[in-house]
Amino acid sequence: MTPEGMLLNGLAVITTGLIVGAIFSLVAAGVTIMYGTIWFPNASNGQFFILAALLMWSLVANWGLSPFLAAVVVIAGSIPFSLILEKFLVRPFYNVPNRNIVYFIMTLGLAQIFAGAFTCTYGRWSDQYSLPATWPGVIMLGPFPFPRTRLLVLLIALILLAGLFAFLRLHRIGRALRAVFQNREAAILRGVDVRRIYRFSFVLAMLIITTGGVLFALAYAFDLTMAWNMAIIAFAIMIVGGPGSVLGSVVIGMIFGFTQAAVSLFASPTLAAFSYLIVMLIILLVKPSGLFAR
Amino acid sequence: MAYRRAALVGLVILALALPFLFSASRFYAFILGVTYLYILWSSGMNLLSGFTGLMPLMYAGLAGVGAYTTVNLVMKFGVSFWLAMPAGALAAALVGVVLGLPSLRLRGFYFTLSGLVIQTALTMLFVYIPQFTGGDTGISQIPPPLISLPGDRSFPLAGVWLEEALAVAALLTVYVVHRVTQSTLGKYLVAIREDDLLTEALGIGVTRYRVLAFFISSLFAGVGGAFYAHYVGFVSPRSFDVLTSLNIWLIVGFGGQGTILGPIVGAVILAPIPYLMQEFYLYKDIVYGSLIVFTTIFLPRGVYGSLLFHRRTRTSARGKSEAARS
Amino acid sequence: MLSRDGKEAVLRSFLFTLMILGFAVLVLLLPSPAAAQAKGEPIKIGWISELSGTWSFFGNTGITAAQIAEEEINANGGVLGRPLQIIPMDNRTDPAQAASAARMLDTQNKVLALSGPTSSDTALAVYGYAEQNQVPFVVPVAAFPRLTRPGTQWTFRLEPDAVGWGYAIVKFVEKVKPGASIALIYSDFALQRAIVAGLKYQAERSGVSVVADIIFPQNATDATVQAAQVKSKNPDFVFVSGGGAFDVTITNQILDLGFKPEQIIHPFGAVKMILGWGPRSIGSYYGTFFDHSLGGLNDYAKGLITKFTQRKGYVPAYIENFCYATVYLIKEALEKAGAVDRTKFRDAMRNINTKEITTGIPMVFDKNGARKEFMYFLQMKEVGKETYKSQEAFYIEWNPEVIPVYQLAP
Repeated sequence: MTPEGMLLNGLAVITTGLIVGAIFSLVAAGVTIMYGTIWFPNASNGQFFILAALLMWSLVANWGLSPFLAAVVVIAGSIPFSLILEKFLVRPFYNVPNRNIVYFIMTLGLAQIFAGAFTCTYGRWSDQYSLPATWPGVIMLGPFPFPRTRLLVLLIALILLAGLFAFLRLHRIGRALRAVFQNREAAILRGVDVRRIYRFSFVLAMLIITTGGVLFALAYAFDLTMAWNMAIIAFAIMIVGGPGSVLGSVVIGMIFGFTQAAVSLFASPTLAAFSYLIVMLIILLVKPSGLFAR
Repeated sequence: MAYRRAALVGLVILALALPFLFSASRFYAFILGVTYLYILWSSGMNLLSGFTGLMPLMYAGLAGVGAYTTVNLVMKFGVSFWLAMPAGALAAALVGVVLGLPSLRLRGFYFTLSGLVIQTALTMLFVYIPQFTGGDTGISQIPPPLISLPGDRSFPLAGVWLEEALAVAALLTVYVVHRVTQSTLGKYLVAIREDDLLTEALGIGVTRYRVLAFFISSLFAGVGGAFYAHYVGFVSPRSFDVLTSLNIWLIVGFGGQGTILGPIVGAVILAPIPYLMQEFYLYKDIVYGSLIVFTTIFLPRGVYGSLLFHRRTRTSARGKSEAARS
Repeated sequence: MLSRDGKEAVLRSFLFTLMILGFAVLVLLLPSPAAAQAKGEPIKIGWISELSGTWSFFGNTGITAAQIAEEEINANGGVLGRPLQIIPMDNRTDPAQAASAARMLDTQNKVLALSGPTSSDTALAVYGYAEQNQVPFVVPVAAFPRLTRPGTQWTFRLEPDAVGWGYAIVKFVEKVKPGASIALIYSDFALQRAIVAGLKYQAERSGVSVVADIIFPQNATDATVQAAQVKSKNPDFVFVSGGGAFDVTITNQILDLGFKPEQIIHPFGAVKMILGWGPRSIGSYYGTFFDHSLGGLNDYAKGLITKFTQRKGYVPAYIENFCYATVYLIKEALEKAGAVDRTKFRDAMRNINTKEITTGIPMVFDKNGARKEFMYFLQMKEVGKETYKSQEAFYIEWNPEVIPVYQLAP
């Protein structure tokens, strides 16, 4: 292969790895926050992700809204949705021991409902969805044309991740959240209203997952089967990174993103997914608290 | 006691007679056959989820292992179904134990999650070894099981006879699971489910018995898979994916985990739904998903389980109030 | 007052009763199959198609054309004095669902014959059921050779087989640029596997070199890295065949990297895909069997084009044509058979010697249910929002077994 060919391939892998990794990190961060604070393993996170993407498509491609307005509508809209879900599906179980299994099964059922609903609606209108480019045109990185919209998405994703970190480390509520991760009883003793934190972290996590979906819709074409794939990948990242650790989600998320891009060079991307599963299993068996556990 | 005996015998006779009663309509007969298949599968899963307290999400993947093994032996090597099916069941059981063994040490949610991971990996595997599985395109024209007759002839077990065979298989499965739960093994499993640390402290090898339960349960997954393949005549990786595991669990959970009749009740109510709702079969996922959510929230003991529980509480409450009065 | 446990118990019993009642209502409201049969008058054909999922472009468009044919036939007295009824079922582009739909249509609706699939994966599932249960199966669009492998008894395939398309593509490339190099980038469906098998086989024998062979799993949505790989090999031509809308994504990403549209060859072009490729792809080539841009359209063809465009807002092409022609073919075979009987219908199909109703191309099936094969390669000239214009660049006919079709795609 020519040096230019190698450069082309390399740039393709790096840019894809960065964007996919950033979005993986966002979704995984949401899943890990939900699990770390409330003990709520959300098996339907992939469906919410795809729901956000599909709504973006409906608003932008179908109804012609501007992508910024649509993004605001979808992300803001997730808040009342999350509050309703929290009240009816999450809160009733706060005092149940072993509630994580109940939540897990319940969200699997929820995922099936969403998957079915999507098949009857979006599934019949098209097999794949893509939005028109938000910022048309490309930036040439050497021989490689990098679409401007993707650059925008990458920047936004990185800013959000940084913002999330800052929030958790510096803001009062963010610190309360981390306190609850680490030690529920101690947090209560320090005067933290645990139930309100639970509600807050649920809504925050859903916000992050929704944003991930919105960003993905802006950058890539997507189809319904992604929902399950994303859910598995998010869990894999959460487990390997360490449940409750946002740092872990980001680091592992980026690694998985790059793995996906690099593996596509010489094998089917499904092989990459296979490798995540193997890694997840190994971590589960050897060090279930994950690599970045506190 | 005698009343219960009679009822049981009556049910068995009914189960064996139904295929003949339905034989006029291939449509209803097929629904009956599928129901028997789900009774078999859900009873097998019940051993693990109901009696041992472990929720095996990789169950459908193991059924797939059983199905593909049997199909390959029969269609590529001309082995008789009656030899291939046990081989398939054994393959499923071995794969189940090998894959499940490391995760048996995990508690609760992590075990369930690892089951999900293994299931996903198995489905991916099925897609990526098309030499054995036909990949996403699947394997079609799977022949019905043959019974060899003297004089080098054979009799295909098709139609009503295959449904009869399924009925027998389902009844045998229920019987075996019942015997297992009544045995010492069964009692140990319940003890492990209730409090595994205490059981370990009492000197009972928790992991060893879990493995045994896993082995038996996976055997049934494989048997069901083999019968499924030769009954429906078509298999593809999507026949054995996460949703299938989940739906079998739903049947167990909805009917009543940890009871013998629970899975039967669940299968009878739920298995026919996708076929009866012909115009609405597209909504099957929504219905099943809603039932899962509903069952987890409102009916954790399942239909039959709730009935049993309320009967017991009523009798004990009556007993208590009578004792108080006297 | 009731204790909390008591309240829970009451709630549970209430919900439980509600649920059982709900089920009972649901079951009672369902139409009973026996009642549907009593009417018995229409001749029923089961149409199992991809109305959702990856192949939905094809399935949704084909069924409209079939329904146009159904209406025309019924407006003209039906078949054997009875109305023809096409019963659609969605197989979700999932072979397991297709097999299940076949079973339902056979046992519950008791159709005369099955038809409908536009995807080879689902068609193969229905094929398995049809052959095993002796139901005539007329495949309008799926092109996998196994559908008519030696020993087939009940299945007939209208579309030329996919392995042959691969052969035809190489012959086309040979004519345009002998000794050229070609890169392959496609999704892992039965159809694409068959085309590529034929392509590679003939490429060896025609001096065309295959410099890249990139396969995507069925649900892929992005081709950035793979497009870069193709570019790095610098081929003369790129064979692009993604599943569904993904094909448009791959095409755009290949064009983004600087390939000229004239370098891209699509093995087939559904109208939605052509419109999706858009003006950027003017100059690209695609294979087809019927196109409104070709001359010599007869009244039936013109009627189909008008009615279809009215209904769907875009012009019909080969998929719609095959589905339309299939329904007319079924009518003709039924009339030849003289009775609504599966075996008689199948025998009539075996011995039929007629012409495709829209084009006059001969329709005769060999002993396995395959037809003599042909293909056009068109070059895109103009593309609008609802219509397009293409020009014939190449036409080829071949015998189904010019290359070992059944071995290359078992």
